[in-house]
Amino acid sequence: MTDATITDAATRPPATNPVQRLSLTWFGVVPFLIFAFLFLILPTLNIVIGAFRTPDGSVTLANIRGLFVPEIINPFWLSMKISLLTAFLGCLIGLAMAAAVTKGGLPSWIRDAMLTFSGVASNFAGVPLAFAFIATLGRLGLVTVVLKEVFGINLAGLGFNLISFLGLTLTYLYFQIPLMILIITPALDGLKREWREAAEMLGATGSQYWRMVAMPVLWPSLLGTFALLFANAFGAVATAMALTGSSLSIIPIILFAQIRGDVLQDPHLGYAVAFGMIVITGIANLVYIVLRARAERWLK
Amino acid sequence: MIRSPRFWSWVAFGGGLLYFFIPLIGMFEFSLRARRGEYSFQAYTNVLSDPQFHQTFVYSAIMALFTIVFGVLIVTPTAFWVRLKLPRLRPIVEFITLLPLVIPPIVIVFGYIRLYNTSSWLPLTGSAFGTDILLMFGYATLALPYMYRAIDTGLRSIDVGTLTEAAQSLGAGWFTIITRLILPNVLVAVLSGAFLTFAIVIGEYVFAALLNRPAFGPYMVWMGGNKAYEPAALAVLAFAITWACMALIQLATRFSKHTRAQR
Amino acid sequence: MKLKNMIATGASLIALVAGGMAQAQSMDEIIAAAKAEGMLTTIALPHDWCGYGAIIASFKAKYPEITVNELNPDAGSADELEAIRANKDNTGPQAPDVIDVGLAFGPQAQAEGLTQPYKVSTWDEIPADVKDADGHWYGAYYGVMAFGVNKDLIETTPTTWEDLLKADYAASFALTGDPRASNQAILAILSAGMSRGAEPGADSGTKGLEFMAELNAAGNFVPVSGKAGTIAQGQTPIVAAWDYNLLAWRDSLAGNPEIEVVIPEGPVLAGVYVQAISAYAPHPNAAKLWMEHLFSDEGQNGYVAGYCHTARFNSMVAAGAVPQELLDALPPAEAYTRAIFPSVDQQAANKTVVTEGWDAKVGAVVAE
Repeated sequence: MTDATITDAATRPPATNPVQRLSLTWFGVVPFLIFAFLFLILPTLNIVIGAFRTPDGSVTLANIRGLFVPEIINPFWLSMKISLLTAFLGCLIGLAMAAAVTKGGLPSWIRDAMLTFSGVASNFAGVPLAFAFIATLGRLGLVTVVLKEVFGINLAGLGFNLISFLGLTLTYLYFQIPLMILIITPALDGLKREWREAAEMLGATGSQYWRMVAMPVLWPSLLGTFALLFANAFGAVATAMALTGSSLSIIPIILFAQIRGDVLQDPHLGYAVAFGMIVITGIANLVYIVLRARAERWLK
Repeated sequence: MIRSPRFWSWVAFGGGLLYFFIPLIGMFEFSLRARRGEYSFQAYTNVLSDPQFHQTFVYSAIMALFTIVFGVLIVTPTAFWVRLKLPRLRPIVEFITLLPLVIPPIVIVFGYIRLYNTSSWLPLTGSAFGTDILLMFGYATLALPYMYRAIDTGLRSIDVGTLTEAAQSLGAGWFTIITRLILPNVLVAVLSGAFLTFAIVIGEYVFAALLNRPAFGPYMVWMGGNKAYEPAALAVLAFAITWACMALIQLATRFSKHTRAQR
Repeated sequence: MKLKNMIATGASLIALVAGGMAQAQSMDEIIAAAKAEGMLTTIALPHDWCGYGAIIASFKAKYPEITVNELNPDAGSADELEAIRANKDNTGPQAPDVIDVGLAFGPQAQAEGLTQPYKVSTWDEIPADVKDADGHWYGAYYGVMAFGVNKDLIETTPTTWEDLLKADYAASFALTGDPRASNQAILAILSAGMSRGAEPGADSGTKGLEFMAELNAAGNFVPVSGKAGTIAQGQTPIVAAWDYNLLAWRDSLAGNPEIEVVIPEGPVLAGVYVQAISAYAPHPNAAKLWMEHLFSDEGQNGYVAGYCHTARFNSMVAAGAVPQELLDALPPAEAYTRAIFPSVDQQAANKTVVTEGWDAKVGAVVAE
């Protein structure tokens, strides 16, 4: 009781004037709120509203309807497929690798090294990553040449192409997997050793432990990271542009080409495309929030 | 200890090692091919002596520094106030800091172009300087989730309430509290956020390309299309820089642990 | 008598002024005004395109008070028009002063009101069919469509457009840009259409798109913007581009790898590029000075040094104004004698068909 009053009195600002107190209380967060409003929320709202306006300002659904043509729907679909696949694989492989270093009995220096490297690799996304993959898996890349000259395998002849679904997935995974490792490692650390020992004492096998104890605890983090990885891949434009220029038909590149050169011959279609992107990443995160609430209910 | 989990751990780790290191080796090997028939560092010489490289790298580095300073100035008081006085605002603030991860950056910059051109109430794109400021705000937006997370974690590890209490009982005002008490104590957290921001800004492409500023990202893309072996050299350099940033973060964290222990 | 004289003098004065409207400033006035403006913003001028690097350097050397602000060198012609549109009220450095676009884009820009008229001092030497009579756009240089081949990856060089459909060239052929925005890519498609017997115009657009669709279906088309870097790195071993670009890229790669430049057999397509000053140019006098520079002997020879044929080529060669070593370095004249120059209308028709039909007919989708 005394503690509370002391703390209370202490955190009250020196001045006793209520108006001054109110303004000082908000003083710290107002710049942040103004910044977030002007440079994050307002531009997004502008796009969302613009998607429903005609050039003369009236409300319309024509722009949104204009999205449902093959040359725009296909890129959306393609982007979603790549994002879903790389998020899924990223989660799976990232989880496997993180579990290997935290629980798998490997020497402890490997854990530190992997976490540092993951930090680097998750930020290596974008232009340099594309160059690295061209230099490795491109027509004249190291792996392609080695496979041809040492093993006699002609990668191009087998139909492999870096600018394909498989090639893009491979490239995107390079920053998806480390991101997963970075986020899931603290969650894995939270799995107490005692739980495993208790499960073993009760006769559970390794897989039963994972299925019934570890996974339910990890679900919220897994889902959250899945949504994050999805949004990450969905919006990635630098890597793809560095790989192909602006001709690849994934939706961020379509939007980029539209902003730069109005290639869709309709300025307001750009708003609609951007709006579509926000809707998809928004839905992904909404799904995450709903599923996470359900998972946490189960936990309780 | 059961042997099979360990075996699978090594398999997982080994597979990951291969996947992550082969592209790096490939990139390095490709960058050595500038002279036909022999390995040489010619590509690196070409890149490092290119005036465009210097200009764009310096531009991006300076932008990164301004972004870091601005980010720290905006986020630190906010995180401090939310933790101390406005805990009810926490969900809102955290939601805002997660927005840049949900909204694709290309949509954000599209909004900037439509909103802050010369026919708007805040004509930022009307001059080179105004566009630079807009770009900085854009970078700060991109770095916001990481900055906030870093500083918030830093504040969590020091007892903000007691420190503030003590300072106030000694007669310090809010400004003094934040600048001379809080900031030095979260310096390590600020540094990790700073290095991460640096890595993000150096490699950033979409904002700089669509706002037409001479940054390092568009330079790298341009090199990729127009030069044969220099892009791989650039990628190696970019990787080295990112690695240096992360290593510096580790160093800073370890340094703080040291000072903690001494107390 | 005196009154008649006065009226006559007045009338001739008015005629003189009206006639000289497009040339109202003298060269010195332009230079002074340009220096006062202090900056020139260009767009889409790669340094290895027709020797623009050297031309810009010589402009900077002549007028050191004028800073040259170069925007987006990889922009296509449509991107340039969009840059003017998007920056109509903008006097900042993102607004281009001058544009260099394909012939078909000149009238489009003029129709949208994106250009302002100006006639350079050497106006009369520019052929009439590559310039707008009122001076809104004017042709500067041209080249012919050719293939550039990376000899490290491709053993047999293709000699015709039909060759490209062969299985040997799987995942090998690329255009130099987005066919919805880049003039070079649009005209490559026109050339493909011509090789199938179509007349330049809407027909060549249709037949060209058919060809590209077949190429894409055969798996030989790569949706990457082909340039020196991508040819050498192996993503686009064969690229269709202007011969001057291919020759410049061959030079810059200096044999590592070796690039072969071949003009395909069959009809040879020549493509003209026109210059125009933006109607909303923040620095109109600097823009005019730049145009004077481009069409001066110095500027035109700068183009020739970049392997381009220029608008004033014939008159300058006749006057002996082109150095012999530049003439010797040009690509062989044989292809140029049978080159076809599509008219403005033909190019416009082709452009409409290609830009609107690309997504539907070909729409390079990522292979699955």
